[in-house]
Amino acid sequence: MPVSATNWADEVDGEDQPQTFTDANGITTIIEYRTNEDGKKVKVTRRTQKKLIHDVVNKAVAARKKWPKFGKEKGNRPGPDPATTNVGDNIKLKLSSTGDVVQDVDEKHEAMKAQLQNKKILCRICKGDHFTTKCPYKDSLGMEDAAAPAAAAEEAAPEEQQSGSKYIAPHMRAGAPAKGSDRDSMREKRDEQPTLRVTNLSEDVTEADVSELFKRFGHISRVFLARDRETNACKGFAFVSFTMREDAQRALEAIDGRGYDNLILRVEWARSSA
Amino acid sequence: MRPILLQGHERSLTQIKYNREGDLLFSVSKDHVVNAWFSHNGERLGTYEGHIGAVWTVDVNSSSTLLVSGSADNTAKLWDVSNGKCLKSWEFNTAVRCVQFSEDDKLVLLVTEPRMGFPATLQIFNVENGVTETVSSEPVYNFNPEGPKITAAAWGALNRYIIAGRENGSVALIDPKTGECVSTNKVHELTLTDLQMSSDRTYFITASKDKSAKILETESLEVLKSYTTDTPLNSAAIMPKHQEFVVVGGGQEAMDVTTTSSRQGKFECRFWHKILEEEVGRVRGHFGPINTIAIHPDGRSFASGGEDGYVRVHHFDDDFFTFKFQI
Repeated sequence: MPVSATNWADEVDGEDQPQTFTDANGITTIIEYRTNEDGKKVKVTRRTQKKLIHDVVNKAVAARKKWPKFGKEKGNRPGPDPATTNVGDNIKLKLSSTGDVVQDVDEKHEAMKAQLQNKKILCRICKGDHFTTKCPYKDSLGMEDAAAPAAAAEEAAPEEQQSGSKYIAPHMRAGAPAKGSDRDSMREKRDEQPTLRVTNLSEDVTEADVSELFKRFGHISRVFLARDRETNACKGFAFVSFTMREDAQRALEAIDGRGYDNLILRVEWARSSA
Repeated sequence: MRPILLQGHERSLTQIKYNREGDLLFSVSKDHVVNAWFSHNGERLGTYEGHIGAVWTVDVNSSSTLLVSGSADNTAKLWDVSNGKCLKSWEFNTAVRCVQFSEDDKLVLLVTEPRMGFPATLQIFNVENGVTETVSSEPVYNFNPEGPKITAAAWGALNRYIIAGRENGSVALIDPKTGECVSTNKVHELTLTDLQMSSDRTYFITASKDKSAKILETESLEVLKSYTTDTPLNSAAIMPKHQEFVVVGGGQEAMDVTTTSSRQGKFECRFWHKILEEEVGRVRGHFGPINTIAIHPDGRSFASGGEDGYVRVHHFDDDFFTFKFQI
């Protein structure tokens, strides 16, 4: 059903005609009502003052001003036609005696280039060799400073152990059993690969999501996502095995403490491989 | 300053020219049309239609009654400025590269290209009868100038000489009565692209693809001033009043534009101090090379036409006129 462009309540007869007043100072006020692009009615008030300016010009110039238009412009009204004549953006012509101002753009560009030549560019998000703003994973990993949460996590860790008021995962507790149990030896082959333990995942995370999150750091050999046996929902943790230890290290540094699905991820080395 | 953008052409501009009073601006481009504009507000007065090829060059006489245009369709046409009517069409064997009225409006100089076995010609026609269709089809003088192709030509003071700029960067003085080359001077390394006379025609400025513009004395062809930039130049003009400046413009070749960024294109009008040979300012705005520059005869505005198809008319701000160069 077509929607009416204006609300019927706004339509008052007699307002469509422009109203014109001229005050004692010779200022003419014209009030018009128009419908804008959004279909809303707007009131346009224009205040104009006419001033006659006398300009002395060459007789020939004055005569040429009255010439009728011809060619493609034939029959057009006097005055510039917006189809062919427009006013551009304001441009400053900066005159300088020293000759250095004019080249500032180029020089700045060159200076920046030289400055960056010796610098190693490191992305704060994925630790790649590009600018943080140019990171391809900017959207998925977020723009906030990676260093800040990481530092915060480091500071928090010793506190946790001292106070004991916060929850500490069993394997992190002081009295946690050391590695070397039977189960570990069973998985020995698997554990040769550097594996990260990712915790605090949300319920609806899938293996694909996890591998999507980690594959940017290097080749992933295995992703194990713990699922609830009945509901098949994620239990909140996953193991990610990389083929290269360096890749795993970079992933740990980058993702640990990073927000994902409104939760702060915790990444650490899987216990058995540490 | 806020430039006025004139969008009357669909292809790149080849030349723009003010009339003597500067109230009209004529522009020609590769799209076959000649446009006439009012320079103070950018209103289009009309178009001159009839060419069927790129129009390379245009000139208007000093009383703004006659307009001559030279085109790649092997014709030069004479127009009535006031109504766009074509008064005369001269036919040649090759494209017309340069046209110019003499100082007394009685003669018009036409230079055709050498091509397809036809030699270059330098022809002078009589137009002293003014706005009439009875214009002779036969030239008063017709020469075949020797040497490299002529890319720009102009009348010297009192019609004593014709100054011709050539493809190899040299400038020649040609006697308009005998066609003899009186003297020549190779001032540029590469093609000379533009040649504009000072208001009294005692000196002129040349622009060249070798990235420099030079001011030469007309009688001796001696280089008086030289302005070296960092980009190939397509046009150069001398400011007649208010400031001792010259304006030069160009940019990298149109064919290379897409392969580099626009900042490196250097599509700016550059203002140089005429006497001290120092660059004083730049006006950006075009997004293609600048092909042609013209300065209003009263020195209060200038216009530039680019490969991008726009003519930009700039009226200077007040601080332009109060600027003093500090040494």
